Amino acid sequence: MRTEAVLEAAATAPAEETLTEGKEPRPRWRLTRAQLISAVALLGLAALPIPFGDFGFFVGQYALIYAIVGLSVVVVTGYAGLISLMPYSFAGIGAIVVGVAMASWGWPFWLALPLGAVATAPVAIFVGITSVRLKGLYLAIATLTFSNALGETFFKWDAATGGAAGWLVERPVVGPIDFGSDVSFYVLCLVALGLFVWMIEGLRTSRVGRAMLAVKDNELEAQALGINVYRTKLVAFVLSGLVAGFGGGLLALLLTTVTPSAFQSPLAEATSILLVTLVAIGGMDRAIGPLFGAVALVVQQQVFQGAEFFFAFVGIYAAVVLIIFMMYRPGGIVQAGKRLIQVTKERPALGLALWATILITNVGGSWLFLALS
Amino acid sequence: MILAAPVTEVTVFGLSSGAVYALLALGLVLIYRTTGVMNFAQWAIGLMGLVVYVVLTNLGVPGPVAAVIGMTSAVGGGVMAYRLVFRRITGSSQIIVILISIGIAQFFSSLAAFALGFEQFTRLQPWLPIVDWHVGSVAIRSSEIITTVTAIGVAFGFLLWFRMSRTGRALRAVAQNREAAMLAGIDAVRYSSIAWGIGSALGALALLLVLPHSAGEQGGLITVFDVTPFGTLLIPAFGAALVGGLVHLPMALVGGFVFGLSRELLVLAPQPWSEFRNSIAAILIVFLLLLRTERFFASRQELEALGG
Repeated sequence: MRTEAVLEAAATAPAEETLTEGKEPRPRWRLTRAQLISAVALLGLAALPIPFGDFGFFVGQYALIYAIVGLSVVVVTGYAGLISLMPYSFAGIGAIVVGVAMASWGWPFWLALPLGAVATAPVAIFVGITSVRLKGLYLAIATLTFSNALGETFFKWDAATGGAAGWLVERPVVGPIDFGSDVSFYVLCLVALGLFVWMIEGLRTSRVGRAMLAVKDNELEAQALGINVYRTKLVAFVLSGLVAGFGGGLLALLLTTVTPSAFQSPLAEATSILLVTLVAIGGMDRAIGPLFGAVALVVQQQVFQGAEFFFAFVGIYAAVVLIIFMMYRPGGIVQAGKRLIQVTKERPALGLALWATILITNVGGSWLFLALS
Repeated sequence: MILAAPVTEVTVFGLSSGAVYALLALGLVLIYRTTGVMNFAQWAIGLMGLVVYVVLTNLGVPGPVAAVIGMTSAVGGGVMAYRLVFRRITGSSQIIVILISIGIAQFFSSLAAFALGFEQFTRLQPWLPIVDWHVGSVAIRSSEIITTVTAIGVAFGFLLWFRMSRTGRALRAVAQNREAAMLAGIDAVRYSSIAWGIGSALGALALLLVLPHSAGEQGGLITVFDVTPFGTLLIPAFGAALVGGLVHLPMALVGGFVFGLSRELLVLAPQPWSEFRNSIAAILIVFLLLLRTERFFASRQELEALGG
């Protein structure tokens, strides 16, 4: 039993870690262990809010949508190594466009959501062009500035944003499924997130994704290898805009009202920071990272929304966790989790003790705070 | 036809906000040159000082004393941030350093939000005298003049000290070449702490000059918009620092006034142009970034040492 597992791990590991050519073709119908685990994890995740009722589903939707928007940070920062402090502005464009399309033009949601995603392209292309000339710190300042400028122009344009009242968006009814209920919308978000994670994880090993990783590693070397750096950066920003715009559209459907004030300075910057923080905590360079980050941050944020003391506590907690992760485990929860699994395999007793400690501190801590508030 | 009175009033206001940007920018540049960290937490650390000021004035401590204590606590916050965090991450990639500095910003702004108790508005008592002076038809508020004069005085004093004093020379040596300075027996960690302390004090002073006097005779307000990691004034401060390529202190001072005056003077422009008032900072920043101002003020070697 054990040797079998080891053999299978040995067979699957190279496919994951390196891109060795000419591996054994595996029968199509057989699931790998990784696929099985992710399927079970997805089902478990789908069931997670059930004990908490409606509130659980509401918080769950929030977390999932933030994870989707967070995926845009994975593409642009995790893969291409370009820091962007404006993911929430892209999401805002998506949300506003979905609002206009559905409330004003009467478009169905399955047309409005892609339109919201595509509508981010002009800004994404502009930022992408700038990112060719600006690196690192300068790009960080530039994206911060763009977020501010969008807040002063696009998000103050009453004809598009519906002014202070915003747009009222009704959640759609498709055949027998009414997305007005939180449960069905949660499932929709979950499916969307699953699709995006699958695509973004696939992007990592695709030609474009590897070009991005090469550009992140060393721009001059990438150029010497024949990679078009200009195009790669542009593609990274356009893809990240698409993902964030789609997430923003879902956010509009979740809230059912889109008001532009959330996307104006400095609230947009603050939320963008939260997004970048949660992605960095979860793990920037794997597509599953934002989900971990969203569970770690957004859930707490929503649960403690009413209780002011704890709301500040979440900000402080997020900051401390971010700083500690960036100092010692820049790969975030994904990296730390991998190390933990490795430790558990090598020294089961120590590993189990660590798992138990994490579980007890998290569950116990949450319980304690809920009991105190 | 533009009247003389609004021009003067607007110019005075532009100068005072320019002075505030200049103080923030000087702090940013000092820390960036000495330690290679762009301090995204400049605003949040300053906010910490302001919160101390609010707490003390509510307890009845006289304003100027509370302001000094507030600045001192901001120094403490900045030095702590350097000693506990940034000192330990030298050699990390730039993305990591930026993310950590954003984390520090979030830490301090959350702390400030907690201390202020989440009000939509928090009233601030002024600590500078607020009198409206009437010169002919022109009304000028005393706090604006004092802000401008104080900021310019502090900035020039700082620049002079940076040029002349022993500590200033050591700071410049660390900024120019950290390794060589250490070989020459300069304690780089100590001087980096000093840079963080001064930079944070300048940030706190900027906030203490502008926010307690923002609402005229009633004093001032902190709104929820100010209690965010990047308050509204940090972006023009980045712009001001960019005028000096993020490394040149006197040009950062000039940059502060460029940003302050351009924003306020646009009020006087005819209708379609005055709409640009709020986005002028962003436009200027994009222009400065694309100009790549850093190459006018630093050699390639220095920029590489800073990680750019």
